[in-house]
Amino acid sequence: MTHRCVHAIPLLFIISALVFLLIHAAPGGPLAIYLSNPNVRPQDIERLRHALGLDRPLWEQYWSWLAAFVRGDWGYSFSDGRPVASRIAERVPATLELVGVSLACAAALTVPAGVYAAVRRGGWFDRVTASASLAGMSLPGFWFGLVLQIVFAIHLGWLPSSGRATPGADDFADHLQHLVMPAAVLAVVLASGWSRYLRGSVIDVLGQPFVVAAAARGASRQRLVLRHALRNALGSLVAIVAVDAALLVSGAVVTESVFAWPGLGSLFTEALARRDYTVLMALLMLSASAVVLFNIAADVAHAAIDPRVAR
Amino acid sequence: MTAVSGRCLRRTACVILTALAAVACRGRVNPPSNDLLIVGYDREPDTLNRFSTHILEDIQSCIVEGLTTTDERMRVVPLLAAEVPTVENGGVRLHTDGRMDVTWKLRPGVKWHDGTPFTSADVKFTVDVINSPAYNPESTDGFDRITSVDTPDPLTAVVHYREIYAPYDIQFIRGALPKHILEGRDLDRAQDYNRSPLGTGPYRVVEWKAGEYILLERVPHYWRGDEVPKVRRLLFKFIANTNTRINQLKSGEVHVVALVPWDKYREIADVPSIVVTKTPGNAYEHVTLNEKQFPPFADARVRRALMLAVDRELYARTILDGLAPVAHGPIQPVSWAYTDRITKYPFDPARARALLDEAGWRPGADGIREREGRRLSFTLITQAGYAIRENIAQAIERQLRDIGVDVTVQLHDGTAISSIWFEGRFDAMLHWWQMPSDPELTTFFAADRVPPAGRNINYFRDDALTELLYASDRTVDRRERKALLERAQAIISEAAPEIPLYNVTRLDAVPATLANFKSNPTNVGIFWNVHEWEIK
Amino acid sequence: MIRLPAVVLGCLIAAAVAAPLVAPYAPDRIDLSSRRQGPSLSHWFGTDELGRDVLARVLHGARVSLAVGLLSAAIAAAIGVAIGGIAGYAGGAVDAVLMRATDGVLAVPRLPLLMIAAVVLQPSVPLLIVLIGLAGWMETARVVRAEFRTLGGRGFVEGARAAGAGHLRVLARHLLPNAAQAVAVSLTLAVARGILLESALSFFGVGVRPPQASWGNMLYESQATLASEPWLAVAPGIFILMTTISVNLAGERLASQPD
Repeated sequence: MTHRCVHAIPLLFIISALVFLLIHAAPGGPLAIYLSNPNVRPQDIERLRHALGLDRPLWEQYWSWLAAFVRGDWGYSFSDGRPVASRIAERVPATLELVGVSLACAAALTVPAGVYAAVRRGGWFDRVTASASLAGMSLPGFWFGLVLQIVFAIHLGWLPSSGRATPGADDFADHLQHLVMPAAVLAVVLASGWSRYLRGSVIDVLGQPFVVAAAARGASRQRLVLRHALRNALGSLVAIVAVDAALLVSGAVVTESVFAWPGLGSLFTEALARRDYTVLMALLMLSASAVVLFNIAADVAHAAIDPRVAR
Repeated sequence: MTAVSGRCLRRTACVILTALAAVACRGRVNPPSNDLLIVGYDREPDTLNRFSTHILEDIQSCIVEGLTTTDERMRVVPLLAAEVPTVENGGVRLHTDGRMDVTWKLRPGVKWHDGTPFTSADVKFTVDVINSPAYNPESTDGFDRITSVDTPDPLTAVVHYREIYAPYDIQFIRGALPKHILEGRDLDRAQDYNRSPLGTGPYRVVEWKAGEYILLERVPHYWRGDEVPKVRRLLFKFIANTNTRINQLKSGEVHVVALVPWDKYREIADVPSIVVTKTPGNAYEHVTLNEKQFPPFADARVRRALMLAVDRELYARTILDGLAPVAHGPIQPVSWAYTDRITKYPFDPARARALLDEAGWRPGADGIREREGRRLSFTLITQAGYAIRENIAQAIERQLRDIGVDVTVQLHDGTAISSIWFEGRFDAMLHWWQMPSDPELTTFFAADRVPPAGRNINYFRDDALTELLYASDRTVDRRERKALLERAQAIISEAAPEIPLYNVTRLDAVPATLANFKSNPTNVGIFWNVHEWEIK
Repeated sequence: MIRLPAVVLGCLIAAAVAAPLVAPYAPDRIDLSSRRQGPSLSHWFGTDELGRDVLARVLHGARVSLAVGLLSAAIAAAIGVAIGGIAGYAGGAVDAVLMRATDGVLAVPRLPLLMIAAVVLQPSVPLLIVLIGLAGWMETARVVRAEFRTLGGRGFVEGARAAGAGHLRVLARHLLPNAAQAVAVSLTLAVARGILLESALSFFGVGVRPPQASWGNMLYESQATLASEPWLAVAPGIFILMTTISVNLAGERLASQPD
């Protein structure tokens, strides 16, 4: 496991360098938004460029950014001058809330559906869930979100169309109402993939010799499923969940945009529009690190759930 | 086991349904009231410091007031100043050596929100700070022509300009920085001020929840009287996505949306609780023709042909749903300098073809005109994300093809496009200018104000025009200035350096129960008279 | 078993290829007098903001979207097979390095990275295909590597080598064909992913840009009028769904076939 950590670090460096180059090659730069304003003069722009350090050579900018980043100093946002770390920190709760709820809902959908479909393999439930998850995996998420908004928010008026809370009426039910649609979009997409995988895993495990043997010894099927099959299958599902979770933490960019959810994903799109390099770099490094960490955590969890797994 | 899984399933379903029921069983929407008015705002400000940001000032204008402001008819009116200084009332003194002094008499009894009196020392402090190299404001335009400020008494500030500066009356439209809390500090890092500025206006910042909203609350003792403003709290909700913003307007989650796009008008026109005001604005959309990058544009006949080939009336009627009138020049009817006595170009493709023939561009084998081996083929760029502009670009492309001109439409995103036009790397661009309330055209059409020195992105050169424009800048007398600008407009329309398309009509959506709302054609924004608003 | 989705896909591809012949109008024919019409006999899917026929645009958009999906998947598969194959075959340090690299690239979230790249490079359609392909080889590499490892453990590699076969021959003759099914499944997933990525990128306005039509950017354009003219989003959305469902279904059926 430490093995993995050690290998991850040089990789993160390479990724950061590549992404740095990519971002800085974007036409425009962070000052471009001021150019369209007739009252801003070229001297002013030069002054800003110097103040932000953009006139130094590229490798110098990268090096100073990297050195600071590793020290924990993530620099200041180009667009409002505030520390990047606080800009990110204040968005984290919103993303965690959305991701957490989506993962929970997806899991709640996946486990019973996947297990039941596996156990009643070939039955009507299996076929229905197969079609449903196929549709779910094939859906463009943003389109699904837009359709939900039109139906539930505009035509029916049952749910708020976007945002995280109604300012001034900020209670639990209100939060839930705002969460329903974005979490539903994410949960559907996640659960579609996961349930197929879980179903496949459970079927595999149920067919394995030791399970058959246990059945022959008279163990009830319920016990078989819960004790053996589920544990095995869940173990490997955890790996997938971990990767998906980590990627979501980087901000479900599309969902957050459609539902104006104030998390890391919408921070990303804003920073991209404003070429806010420091924020973009920090976000990408953060998510890459999250994926590595989650993968390691997944390995640990897998081993814990299923001690038979030897690494 | 089947029983277990079945039960598990049923239980999950029950939980989900109960949750949904609980969620649905609650009324959500706050109607607009004098207690809380929710504004759907198109972006989160980078800072509330009016001098550091140039992007938008709606929120700031509720908090920080200028010495003057521009009203709904674009007239400069006094705000924190007692009156607008002019030559007639002795407030402006012109010296023979070209210098100018402007004397500002401040309104008595105005206090900052912390109780400290607002004085001329704050005005002087503001000028000194902006002109000092330590601070990076957005722009020092105008301020850099100020040599010094005298403060003979706390209510008088005498501003000394080294040369005549016609827009002096809006010099302090952005307000002043409070000396007593900002003196000696690094303004770029003064986050307490930048996040919650100290002002004299009807509101102050209560909360700025990053990524979500800014909440303003009325101040207890506004200088106009304790009974105003009537609306207690203003909430600015950040909603970058236009569709989301309009959806929230329709569902009642936000009450006010400024600058509704024209293609959204029909969606909200019939909502009984919303009133959409239409205000002719001081902005216009146009097609810039970059002579430097695409030399065929240097021929006036080509430019006029392009103007004639584009059916602007049809676009205004259809794509713009009749909401914006065709523009014929850079100065719009709302401005005092506007004149109608200019060359107009009604839709006439036959004449366009004749002009191109005359200029030597003959149709080639594929229908596209050519001359001396060169095809009349150029790229038209515009900003992505504005459906109407994208549609107009495509319609223009079709109509120009009809007269044998090949146009390729390219979309660029907002940040990229700014640097493209700034560096002049484009042939033609579908663009818009939000003109300042002062009708200065120099930066747009003077021969020596091509980027980076200015905004003459047509790279247009006419020496007579250049002289006229500079002369108008140095003329304070309004009648004289208008005469000069009228001649300038005539020259511009005759030469057709760009294709003006339409005059931007502001659409602002407010609750039907809101009284005293007056929109504003300048970028002062719709909150300029927020102290008069009341929900009835 | 994979007949139904294959048939559907075949029809879609055929319609796309034949679009200039089949489409009732030119996709960029502007008719400002018949804007925003709902579905009717003269315009089966209605017209858009500029009076252009939606069906024609969907058919022409199919050419772009399908091309992006199929070609980017091909690129992803090619790269994935190469890297995964070398890793699985060589084993040892090479395997470790290549798989770490794959894991590393997988660690960076795909869509945000593609968005940045799209904003920087302002790609033409061919370049967009390459970019999406470059973002999709990792899954294939893993699958191929896993296949090669299991196959390699079955002893016939040693047998072949003992019989004097060179490396390439072993790869081409023995390993690749056996991994073909896994690669095919991976390929179908890559096609679906490619189509969805293109539509997501175009939704943000950084993929295929108007006036060139693609399903993704038709959805992008339809956003502005979703409430008043929903049919503008229905047509491209349905086509995307049909395509991705067919592709995914084909992949699933392929995967469930015995080795």
